[in-house]
Amino acid sequence: MKQALKNSRKILLTMLLALGVGAIFILAIGENPISAYAALLRGAFDGKLKIGTTLASFTPLLLTSCAFAVAAQAGAFNVGVEGEAFLGGIVAAYIGINWTFLPKPVLLVTCFLGAILIGMLWALIPAVLKAYYNVSEVCVTILMNSVALYITSYLVNGSMSAGVANSQSLPVTVTLPKILPPSNFNVGIFIAIAIEALMIYMLKKTTWGYKIHTVGTNPQHAEYIGINPKKVFINAMMLSGAIGGITGCIEVLGVHGYFLNNFATGLGTNGMLAALIVKSNVVLTPIMAFFLAVLKSGAMGMQQSTGVPKSIVDTITSVFIIIATMELLFQFKEKKRKVSIADTGKKAEAAEAVSGKGGASHE
Amino acid sequence: MSNGSSIFNASLIYATFRSATPIIYAALCAAVTQQADILNIGTEGIMLTGAFMAVAVSYLTGSWILGVLVAMVSGLVIAMIMAVGHIKYKSEICAIGMGVNLLALAITKFLLNSWLGKSGTFMDPAIAAIPHVHFAFLENIPLLSTIFNDWCITEWLVIFFVILIWFLFYKTRWGLHLRAVGQFPDAAQMAGINVKAMKYQAMAISGLLGGLAGAHLSLGYSQMFTENMTNNRGFMGVAAMFFGGAHPVYTAIGCLVFGFADSIGARLQAYGLPSEIVLLMPYVVTVIVLALSMISKKEAEKKRKSSLQTAH
Amino acid sequence: MNENAIEMKDIVKSFGTVQAVKNGQFTLRQGEIHSLIGENGAGKSTMMKLLYGLYPIDSGEIRVNGERMKSMDPKTAIAKGIGMVHQEFMLVKELTVLENIILGFEPRNGLVIDFDAARKMVQQYIDQYGMDVQLNKKISQISVGEAQRVEIIKILCRGANIIILDEPTAVLTPQEAQHLFEILQNLKKGGKSITFISHKLNEVMEISDRISVMRQGNYIGTVNKEDTSPVQLAKMMIGREVFLNIEKTKAKVGKTVLEVKDLWTSGEKEISKIRGVSLDVHAGEIVGVAGIDGNGQSELIEAITGLRRVEKGAVLLDGRNVTNFPVRKIRAEGLAHIPEDRNTRGLNRGMSIRDNLVADKIDKSPYSSHFRIQLDACKEYAQELAGKFDIRPRNTEAPTSALSGGNAQKVVVAREVSGATSLLVASQPTRGVDIGAIESIRSTLQEVKAQNVGVLLVSADLEEILSLSDRIVVMYEGRITGRMRADEATEENLGLLMMGDTDQEKEW
Repeated sequence: MKQALKNSRKILLTMLLALGVGAIFILAIGENPISAYAALLRGAFDGKLKIGTTLASFTPLLLTSCAFAVAAQAGAFNVGVEGEAFLGGIVAAYIGINWTFLPKPVLLVTCFLGAILIGMLWALIPAVLKAYYNVSEVCVTILMNSVALYITSYLVNGSMSAGVANSQSLPVTVTLPKILPPSNFNVGIFIAIAIEALMIYMLKKTTWGYKIHTVGTNPQHAEYIGINPKKVFINAMMLSGAIGGITGCIEVLGVHGYFLNNFATGLGTNGMLAALIVKSNVVLTPIMAFFLAVLKSGAMGMQQSTGVPKSIVDTITSVFIIIATMELLFQFKEKKRKVSIADTGKKAEAAEAVSGKGGASHE
Repeated sequence: MSNGSSIFNASLIYATFRSATPIIYAALCAAVTQQADILNIGTEGIMLTGAFMAVAVSYLTGSWILGVLVAMVSGLVIAMIMAVGHIKYKSEICAIGMGVNLLALAITKFLLNSWLGKSGTFMDPAIAAIPHVHFAFLENIPLLSTIFNDWCITEWLVIFFVILIWFLFYKTRWGLHLRAVGQFPDAAQMAGINVKAMKYQAMAISGLLGGLAGAHLSLGYSQMFTENMTNNRGFMGVAAMFFGGAHPVYTAIGCLVFGFADSIGARLQAYGLPSEIVLLMPYVVTVIVLALSMISKKEAEKKRKSSLQTAH
Repeated sequence: MNENAIEMKDIVKSFGTVQAVKNGQFTLRQGEIHSLIGENGAGKSTMMKLLYGLYPIDSGEIRVNGERMKSMDPKTAIAKGIGMVHQEFMLVKELTVLENIILGFEPRNGLVIDFDAARKMVQQYIDQYGMDVQLNKKISQISVGEAQRVEIIKILCRGANIIILDEPTAVLTPQEAQHLFEILQNLKKGGKSITFISHKLNEVMEISDRISVMRQGNYIGTVNKEDTSPVQLAKMMIGREVFLNIEKTKAKVGKTVLEVKDLWTSGEKEISKIRGVSLDVHAGEIVGVAGIDGNGQSELIEAITGLRRVEKGAVLLDGRNVTNFPVRKIRAEGLAHIPEDRNTRGLNRGMSIRDNLVADKIDKSPYSSHFRIQLDACKEYAQELAGKFDIRPRNTEAPTSALSGGNAQKVVVAREVSGATSLLVASQPTRGVDIGAIESIRSTLQEVKAQNVGVLLVSADLEEILSLSDRIVVMYEGRITGRMRADEATEENLGLLMMGDTDQEKEW
């Protein structure tokens, strides 16, 4: 409990610091940070439409942050959620447009299954490369995001094009009902919440979660104890990919009603941010996802009513993430230990050095 | 003329090199820190910041040299944010690396809006580009002229940097210290080497190189700035660094492969290859080359360790 | 010159809440060999690390050649002529011997390192003290004994007059240790002052001029070698009588539980590749595997336990072929494994004691049902084991990262012993743990044997092998160079086999 309190205090401090840095930037361009932030809040919450828009942008972030966190629990740094969302979206769109021979409910489920399948397959590539050949999954997933983007862009400009000025597909024949029209907020949120809850349960209460956690914290121990770390790693990545695919599917079926070129740009990145800030703690990711959704949807309002460009919001979030990654920041009160050889900064190791060094040596 | 000869001709050599140069700079940026055992995920962000600052300063002062220098300094600043976070405050390197990438993306966008008053792309005749070098005496030898004439200064410079970094790594005290720090920091500390100082130095040099990479991209390779103009070239550099095992020469060779894919693709576009496919080709090639190089490394290691093989 | 090379007075040093050194005293005279002895955790290594400036002291005083040092760091230590050879060699594997030796003070010629000058300088020391090393080889290609000589040359080249050796013989055969002692005598003749850390009393009696003893962070006393005996030293070290050589129970040999047939497997180094090893273990006996670290013992164990791919040959457990089975299946056949490195393999330091204790049973009832973990059953079981194996603290919800070396090892032993129904593989089971834990772990192994389970014991500690095993095999460069019954084995004949002398092989 004490640890939880400490964590939330740290997150709060980090948040304030990031907003402070943002304020400096706003001051630097001669605007008033307080009125800018007020405008931002109004942009996010003032009226049914704005609340709906905020909630609509919360849905994908909830999912992508969850996707990133699930992979991170197994020790994977899956930057590829965005690519998985793109491909999930295009497959859902393709099925939703073309497989009209299916009854509507079946079609809807098929859209989701298709998105899940493509997301899993897409994540399988970096997962296998990492697990078996130690190829950096960060590099591969990022590069594969570009590939996914260009593939969907090729399709939506070519064979799947609606033939209108915008790069987009024909409308899908099955959609998710909207909740707060005219905003894009739709029942996809319930799917997202259900998935989030399922993931929390899986990670905290089941043997799968235990295994994922073991592999994420110490793969060598996992292998030794009889858990196949490669298999668990690959499964976690595929699960992450599946959630990424669902994100794309919900965006296509729930928000747009067709595949819009570039629709997922930033979704994966922001989800990753939300997860990174809370160290991929699945219980806390929804809070961060919501915070980022507020910033995102309020940004436009702020730009319109004040002279502050909405890119300030990205600056604030990136400062937020940079500060949040710094493990040792905000630990003023704890006695500073000199970090040196054999003392990697962890109490236990120092204590170990006292009680006779680690396992590999003998005093 | 057959299709083959117009795709594969002398100018392809320069085209390949031209596409590869920004990635070579990025790869060197990643290689320097890799030798100190820091995976520089922030290469992309360092490069993007450099690209913006180079254009902004060149536009405002009319001096490309000043643009390049400021770009390098801005790269240094971004690298130092990472260095302090990672070395002093124990940030996970991938996390803070992605953090600075996003910061660079956001802040260049923000500055483009609020400082230069543009959004999306910034192009202006007042941007002083990095000059190209023309050798008059080569004009009489068409083949050499096609290949070597009118290179941008920073394109010649990249060859110098590859050699310089190689020299630094393998011939100097600093390089030996750097490699010792990367491979076994405790041993380096025992030998009286300041491990943290070495890591900071590696990050600093990496920042300067990354800034230069960006400056070359915006003032040499092109003459403008676009949001996210690095377009994952930083990550291609990191991939090339893996391919070359952080050895500057092998790393540069990896970049040439990516450059080749890029320029071949561009030529194929003239034969009806859709632009999206052309654009995705370097990424696909990078992933494949990276994967193959790591797979072959793994296989070689497996073979080396096998009891059924005798050593040497 | 001051009479004393080193004086350390009233040293206190804590790590977090643990007081490693409570009252440290140590004086090294010029030109003497002075041993610092004590059990694991007595604080002797910490004392020397404080001297070398690896950690700052909390209080006390350090004098080098009479000069009081305000603060120490490795750089100052080197400048003051102090050199330290660590237990774990501080050598960069992928650099050459020469590069390692000159690291940190490379001679230069303009911008580049002058390797010719370096070679000349190093050769001087090689000739003077008779230490053969191959300068152009990479560290990864040379033997442990040679690496140790590289370490010594390294510190000599830095002008060390005060040499600290932290348990230098732990990785050597008795014969190699003799060679090291000759070198140390040469160094002493050359005017160097030497501190020798050990807990092997016979070595200490052989090499030292004076001996200082530490126990539980406290200085106990200093004696001249002439005035003392191993018995007195042991008493000073332990503070009570301890019998590590527990009465060996007679083996009631049953059926063959492990059969390794002509096994070939990969190795991290050329000399640790396993080539054609055969051995068997019966129920109710302990088979000891002796050998210097890095001669393939780790690889052999990994191949048997499913952690390393078998390239040729077979592993049979209870008569069933389990070659290249996944670890999970091998464990299900009744094999348990105390690994050599508890920090990476044996434990998951990021999880609680409870999680670590149930790690191998998490898929089984009653610890989980239908994928859902049954927390109460896990807790109950963890409490039971913690009590049975005296794991402290008893709060099994505490993170394993807070455990001392001995208690951490007890967690591993508790989990594995309770899973061993036919074979227990124990690799360096008492390495780096305190004396109380050594006693309890060794008697646990005896109990396992009494329950008709076979035990395969790997240890670099000959004394441990001799005191526990019923039969002994010796490994050298990935092959078995000797097999004998324990009553035929002595430190001497095992030592020879550990160096590759195969004439000693007897029937077993």
